[in-house]
Amino acid sequence: MNESIQKIKEAIIEGHHREIESLVREICKTGISPDTVIQEGLIAAMDTVGQRFSAGEIFVPEMLVSALTMKLGLNIVKPFMTGEAGAPKGAVLMGTVKGDLHDIGKNIVIMMLEGAGFRVIDLGVDIDVEKVVEKVAEIRPQVLGLSALLTTTMPEMKRVIEELRARGLRDRVKIMVGGAPVDAAFAEKIGADGYGKDAVQAVALSRSFVGL
Amino acid sequence: MKATPYNLFMSALYGGRKGIRPPAGNPTSIACVELMKACGVFFPEAHLNARAMADLALAGHELVGFDTVMPEYSVHQESAALGCEMDWGNETRMPDAKTAPHADFSDVIVPENILEKPSFRVVLDALSMLRREVGGQAAIIGKVMGPWTLSYHMAGTQNFLLQLGLGEKDKINRMLRQLMPVSIAFANAQFRAGADAVVLADHATGNLVGPYHYRDYLLPIHQEITARVGGPMILHICGNCLDRLEFFAESGVDAYHFEWQVDAKAAVEKIGKRISLIGNVNNAKTLYQGTPEDVYRQARYAIEAGVDIIGPECAVPLMTPLANLRAIPTAVREGY
Repeated sequence: MNESIQKIKEAIIEGHHREIESLVREICKTGISPDTVIQEGLIAAMDTVGQRFSAGEIFVPEMLVSALTMKLGLNIVKPFMTGEAGAPKGAVLMGTVKGDLHDIGKNIVIMMLEGAGFRVIDLGVDIDVEKVVEKVAEIRPQVLGLSALLTTTMPEMKRVIEELRARGLRDRVKIMVGGAPVDAAFAEKIGADGYGKDAVQAVALSRSFVGL
Repeated sequence: MKATPYNLFMSALYGGRKGIRPPAGNPTSIACVELMKACGVFFPEAHLNARAMADLALAGHELVGFDTVMPEYSVHQESAALGCEMDWGNETRMPDAKTAPHADFSDVIVPENILEKPSFRVVLDALSMLRREVGGQAAIIGKVMGPWTLSYHMAGTQNFLLQLGLGEKDKINRMLRQLMPVSIAFANAQFRAGADAVVLADHATGNLVGPYHYRDYLLPIHQEITARVGGPMILHICGNCLDRLEFFAESGVDAYHFEWQVDAKAAVEKIGKRISLIGNVNNAKTLYQGTPEDVYRQARYAIEAGVDIIGPECAVPLMTPLANLRAIPTAVREGY
């Protein structure tokens, strides 16, 4: 691997947010394709970060800093992107369900998805079923991600799926669910397409949903 | 030792003589909608009115069969007094702070009269009522948030964790140190008001932050809190904390209240000889979605593993069926 790409990767993994912009700026001047920088630098780095998180080697604070570092790098490389190289992998609509104000898990999934090249639309927290359905109809995302931290708000996920079905939109979007009280059995029970134990799995699911 | 709820709980809290059965205890809330209906007291009144708060706590002892009464159902009594704008919720929704007044990590000035703030006063008054009504009969548990949890409320959780990740040690330590006196003052006031033990809830949660964060930032603070608080303290930290149990045992608390994610046998093996253990019936799958038999089995597993006091792992979901909650006292009444 190109030595400069390797440095970018390391900067993201280690959360060296002060160095990343100059590193990316330098490599973009060399004529290397922005897509290579993104794929082999930024996305590869966030994959490693996700794996280290899943393995319990790092925790949310380190992950937040890596995500911030990745975003700073992405902002530098973006203006160099043209045509296909800059096209997102797909659109993911994300939100925390009605009655639930927790957003860190959702935000980490969003950061990882953006790091993996997806266009993410964040609906925020405490989202009405109607708003989710309206946005699915309007944006037509490939993937809808629903998050809940509270056992009391888990049933809202089912309500979203039922409402999408009632409006004839269910088959137009893949649905993944996640959050502390949620598991694969619950996801299956409510008719979701998948359950992400953590942000890494959410990215893997999204990739599989869009055929990557 | 007489096998009264109070005696059984206090003896188990100190790792003392075993009575005829283990106690059922709830360091965190067991208030659920069915319990509210059964005693005629509902949220949000039970957060705001001392009589309602005490009555709902009594219902856990008198109607469900727990050996404890614990009258604090939210994690926001302190943050309300420290200036967060509050949404006190309703019977199916827990309270939440709507603002984080120190997102810029500006100095937190603790009001001199903080013990007289309504959200503090209500807890202290409820504890005093409980002392008068069931003192010496049921164990009365108070609860304070530790400075880590309070920092989430003051700065915003994600913001606080980001600064932690960025290595802003001075910022983090300053905020923790500014908030520590709140936990100490509230805990001591709760003992004076009538609490037999006070929970120190401080969410350096497993999976969220690492054991090294707890060791480097919070352990010295917890040691100082426990040294400066008069009575026994119960540490409550959520998540899978198997990787930091030894640090908890060094914090000076008398017991650790833990989640099902930590296997009861593993917890007992690691620190069971050093501090008491309380828990760890699963909330989401067992108490909320399971059957009384599922709850009973988990409670018996914890008893057989050597957990000292049996209870839910954390504040129970508000839609928890009362029959499931009752399965915990049922399991402990079968003895060891």
